Amino acid sequence: MSQTIIALAINGIVFGLIVALIALGLSIIFGLLDIINLSHGDFFMVGTVIAFTTLATLGHFWPALLIAPLIGFALGALIQFSIIQRIKNNAALSIVATFGLSMIIQEVVRMTFGAAPKRIMPPISGTFGMFGIEYEWYRIFAAIASIIAIGSFFIFLKSTKLGVWMRAVRHDRDTATTMGIPTQQIYLFTFGIGFAMAAIGGVIAAPITTVDFRTGVDILPFCFMAVIIGGLGNLPGTVAAAVLLAFLEGVISGFATPTIARIFSLVLMSSVLLIRPQGLFKGLTK
Amino acid sequence: MSARLPYLGLLLVLVLAPWIIPIIGDSFWLSVLTEIIIWSCFAASINFLFGYVGLLSFGQALFFGFGMYGVALGISAFQLSFWPAFFLGPFSATVMALITGIFAVRLTWHYFAIITVVFSLIFYFLALTLKSVTGGDDGINFSMPDLFNLLGFKLSLTNSTTQYLFTLSVVVLCFWLIKVVMASAYGRSLIAIRDNDIRASLIGINVYRLRLSAFVIAGFLAGVSGSLFALFGRYASASYMFYHVSGEGVVWAIVGGVGTLLGPAIGTGIFILIREIVSTHWQHHALIVGAFAICIVIFAPEGIVGLWKKLRHRSRS
Repeated sequence: MSQTIIALAINGIVFGLIVALIALGLSIIFGLLDIINLSHGDFFMVGTVIAFTTLATLGHFWPALLIAPLIGFALGALIQFSIIQRIKNNAALSIVATFGLSMIIQEVVRMTFGAAPKRIMPPISGTFGMFGIEYEWYRIFAAIASIIAIGSFFIFLKSTKLGVWMRAVRHDRDTATTMGIPTQQIYLFTFGIGFAMAAIGGVIAAPITTVDFRTGVDILPFCFMAVIIGGLGNLPGTVAAAVLLAFLEGVISGFATPTIARIFSLVLMSSVLLIRPQGLFKGLTK
Repeated sequence: MSARLPYLGLLLVLVLAPWIIPIIGDSFWLSVLTEIIIWSCFAASINFLFGYVGLLSFGQALFFGFGMYGVALGISAFQLSFWPAFFLGPFSATVMALITGIFAVRLTWHYFAIITVVFSLIFYFLALTLKSVTGGDDGINFSMPDLFNLLGFKLSLTNSTTQYLFTLSVVVLCFWLIKVVMASAYGRSLIAIRDNDIRASLIGINVYRLRLSAFVIAGFLAGVSGSLFALFGRYASASYMFYHVSGEGVVWAIVGGVGTLLGPAIGTGIFILIREIVSTHWQHHALIVGAFAICIVIFAPEGIVGLWKKLRHRSRS
């Protein structure tokens, strides 16, 4: 019994790191463009589909880790340019637009890829002993890959010119524009980066979940939860919240059904919203 | 009087629809029209909160679901007859709206949108877990009790014309209620809150209490539509409580035109008609629906009603 719980808890942490990757993209789009992006989960789904298709056509899984972010970035930038820019960052309209987008993405995937859920085998097979359980190597790889992706995103944000510009636009749009920062390009770039991160998350998660055109719908509320519990605009908080939530859900699902575990984290989230709408971790940093 | 004429004309056409439709086409369209009318009431509930009070709820499916299960469980589990069951549906939705509203309307804007999703998700997952009561995703079926049975004269919603006219009269009553509410002093206070909540509170409006009451009214409207939908399909299912249902309602309301009485109904009608017309020829109708929603927000951000007003204004001047 205790071994199952350990396994579920570690699974939770691994999954939480992947969710963190997606939620970070959601959070920067939310923070910078004031847009509630309902199609964000679908880019995670597109990532899983790219992983499946790469494996099926090239025979290897690894190229997907490069292809997915490129496609994600291009699509994200295209969507920002052709749709989001035209609705002038109006949050209510952005909900309708991204909802429509989500329908289109899902339908295109259903048309080309098929409606039946599929599975792919982990590219790293085998298990090893840890805390008295046999654990899959691939999940450890998934955790490390997510940490690397999250880490490079933070380094990018902290120490490159583009990253500084992104933070500046997010902090104060008008001042940033008068200081000569190309705001429009930053928006384009932010959308691209956000979608690229969701797509990488999808590739990493593909061998441990199912590849299905509906997975985006299931993961989206979870990502929003991480963004809110971590505190809007608090990026390290988002990562911490994603891992914490997934860990808790993992542990609880050892005692009850996954659905009850999900209810628990939703109740936790509504209490956070009502008691600490600024997020759990406000005041801990700085 | 002349301003009322288009409304009366529309009402007349709708009342006569069960006799007009068989002349011009398949009677299948009567059930499509019934469905449009039911979902219009749902979109009106979202519009009531967003268009008149400025609160964007993404969780109205929760109250739709409560209305649905109120009727379905009332009939199948508590063996109620028609009218008590039809009362139970909207009533349980309204009570639920009061309970969740006490918490939800403390928040506004993004936070409000998100907490309403969270509340509806909690009950969606609960409904999935309590499969023995709710039937989960598969739902529960029930057989329709008579509308009334007087001295051998029976009227039942199993007849599609009766069903249509019943649905129409309930929903017209709801829209009339919205119109009356919005014309009252109470309605004008809601608009004041929508336009500037700080100013509204400074002139002595109790913003929290008014938002809560509006949330309850909207919950009631969603509950009515859910109850009607349960009677229409003679079943209730947890899948109608998922946030996607709320999302569709939001899209219908915004595309039709928020803050207008008939906008939500127009948006709902267009989307359901596209779905019904295209899906018989082409499996992938979701592509058209999605593209249409995007085009509307780009080219007509005020919705279809807003576009119509603008065109009329232009042709006059």
